[in-house]
Amino acid sequence: MVANFLIGLREGLEAALVVSILVAYLVKTGRRDLLPALWGGVAVAGGVSLAFGALLTFGPKGLSFEAQEAIGGTLSIVAVGLITWMIFWMAKTARHLKADLQHKLDDAIAAGKGAVVVMALLAVGREGLETALFLWAGAQATSTGTSAPLVGAALGIAVSVVAAWLMYRGAVRLDLRRFFAWTGLFLVLVAAGVLSYGVHDLQEAGILPGLSSLAFDVSASIPPSSWYATLAKGIFNFTPATTWLQLVAWTAYVSVVLTVFVRTTWGRSPAPKPTAPAAVASAATS
Amino acid sequence: MSRSRVGALALVALVLPLAACVDNDPGPAASGAPERALTVSSTQDACDVSSATAPSGTLTFAVTNDGSDVTEFYLLGEDGLRVVSEVENIGPGLTRDLVVQVRPGTYYTACKPGMVGDGIRAEFTVTDSGEAVGPTGDAAEQLAAAEDQYVAYVKDQVGALIAGTQEFADAYKAGDDEKARELYAATRVHWERVEPVAESFGDLDPLTDAREADLEDGQTWSGWHYIEKDLWPPLAADNGGTEYVPLTDAERTKAADDLVGWTQDLVDQVNDPAFTFEAFQISNGAKELLDEVATGKVTGEEEIWSHTDLWDFQANVDGARLAYEVLEDVVEEADPDLAATLTERFAALEGLLAEHGSVEEGFTSYDELTAQQVKELSTAVDALSEPLSRLTAVVTGV
Repeated sequence: MVANFLIGLREGLEAALVVSILVAYLVKTGRRDLLPALWGGVAVAGGVSLAFGALLTFGPKGLSFEAQEAIGGTLSIVAVGLITWMIFWMAKTARHLKADLQHKLDDAIAAGKGAVVVMALLAVGREGLETALFLWAGAQATSTGTSAPLVGAALGIAVSVVAAWLMYRGAVRLDLRRFFAWTGLFLVLVAAGVLSYGVHDLQEAGILPGLSSLAFDVSASIPPSSWYATLAKGIFNFTPATTWLQLVAWTAYVSVVLTVFVRTTWGRSPAPKPTAPAAVASAATS
Repeated sequence: MSRSRVGALALVALVLPLAACVDNDPGPAASGAPERALTVSSTQDACDVSSATAPSGTLTFAVTNDGSDVTEFYLLGEDGLRVVSEVENIGPGLTRDLVVQVRPGTYYTACKPGMVGDGIRAEFTVTDSGEAVGPTGDAAEQLAAAEDQYVAYVKDQVGALIAGTQEFADAYKAGDDEKARELYAATRVHWERVEPVAESFGDLDPLTDAREADLEDGQTWSGWHYIEKDLWPPLAADNGGTEYVPLTDAERTKAADDLVGWTQDLVDQVNDPAFTFEAFQISNGAKELLDEVATGKVTGEEEIWSHTDLWDFQANVDGARLAYEVLEDVVEEADPDLAATLTERFAALEGLLAEHGSVEEGFTSYDELTAQQVKELSTAVDALSEPLSRLTAVVTGV
């Protein structure tokens, strides 16, 4: 029960946190009219994943392992590209905002409309298929007399949605400038994790090399199925056993994007500086 | 981006992989044969697979987590590193299926309760069921199509070769050396493109294409290079100190008629309805052509008197590229990385060659290339040679 709950929580967090930031972003920038489009994207991705999962589970055809990993990996890397674009857009915006200004943002967001929808799609669709297959396996188990796995997984997803909602509430309370700065920072770390995850998927599919050369393996002290490893994986995609290629990709991404982001956001800042973001970053990943 | 376009993109992204499906229903096992539908029970300290062997083809492992911790199940290759297939997130009480197409060989099964470490492993043997396991069921058809295409190409080239050789021989016999020198390299191109085929007919290759330096004791020299030396007579200094004696008219006529005769032999053999050239011969041939380039053309030894090595060079590369192209679909499916590498390196080498001319326009004389240019060509040939040597394994593996 607990184990299945944690899987549901982990898979749910991976999608829900990004969606909650997107929602907060639209609300903060006075673009509530785009919310239906965003929820539409979420619904489409969820629906397609579930339907596709059902088809693969109960239908005559399954998906080859390489194909499944290649989908997850490719979608992850596309998602990273979009999130990165959004991060820089936010950084640029934050810089031009006065801390207390209820600014009606310009047309730049209109251009971002499609991107927001696609991001919502990818946030859910990326892991949607794997989660759907997992849920359908739970449904199959229900028919053989045990509903615990399905209930556990559903509870986990529900908790992840609540957590995402709480985060949204917290984010919306921030003034606009801080909101951009902090959610941007958080997104940098999330995107780096998604990139690392995508790299690992592509390594498993045999598209990228180096699956077995590990940079570190702390799974002995941080069991991957523990609740804290689950949270670390769900939020930042931290894996206790990380390959060199993953580590290199993660480090390269964070060092470049974070530097540019911090410079853009806090550079030439007219407002008082918030706490140094670097401290938060290291705390979040340690 | 419009919403409908976004939706369409997303659907494509999610539905595209339908092309990469495998049958969920494993084929029926012959009576008494080991099953293709296997069950696995994973617990904290055990990984019980219902059978340690299975026949090649599509296998299904129904993996049930009978433990209290999340587990994963892997099918690993013989080295214990390559992941052939895996299924993750098997929560307690769940059963998840792993469906995989496997070729005969040794594998390892592994359960990873708690998702930690190397897992609980066991050797797993896949016996040969005689069923073809390939990327698709029509690999055999693709190979047959490749063979047909290649044979058509060979026939086309030897057709051009016999016509050109006849013209060349006539000019040479008539004493029109200038015309013969002009036709020499352009005609040989057709020979060099399909040389692996000529080599498969035993004596034809040494009779028509032997180089003076490679002659064995007692072997009479004949063929293209014998005439080449007569058309581009060397100075005594380049001829081991002896004065080169031009061929007499009678010798010329014999040399030219022999060459046409042997070329006609080649044409007849290739056009024989029974002539086939199998996929592995095509892929080996591609490699041989590159080796030819590396050992003969790069060194400038092939056309030591005429210095028309770049024509031969280009022709060998043409032939190798065509051999690869007819097999490309097969390679694309079996090893997309290799296909991408080959495509890229062929392009690199051809680009380099194009800097020195073309078959139609003529090439730079090989003795005018700088050491640096020769080295560049040689490096590009080596870069192509290595992946090309893996072609046969891929082609015969499907």
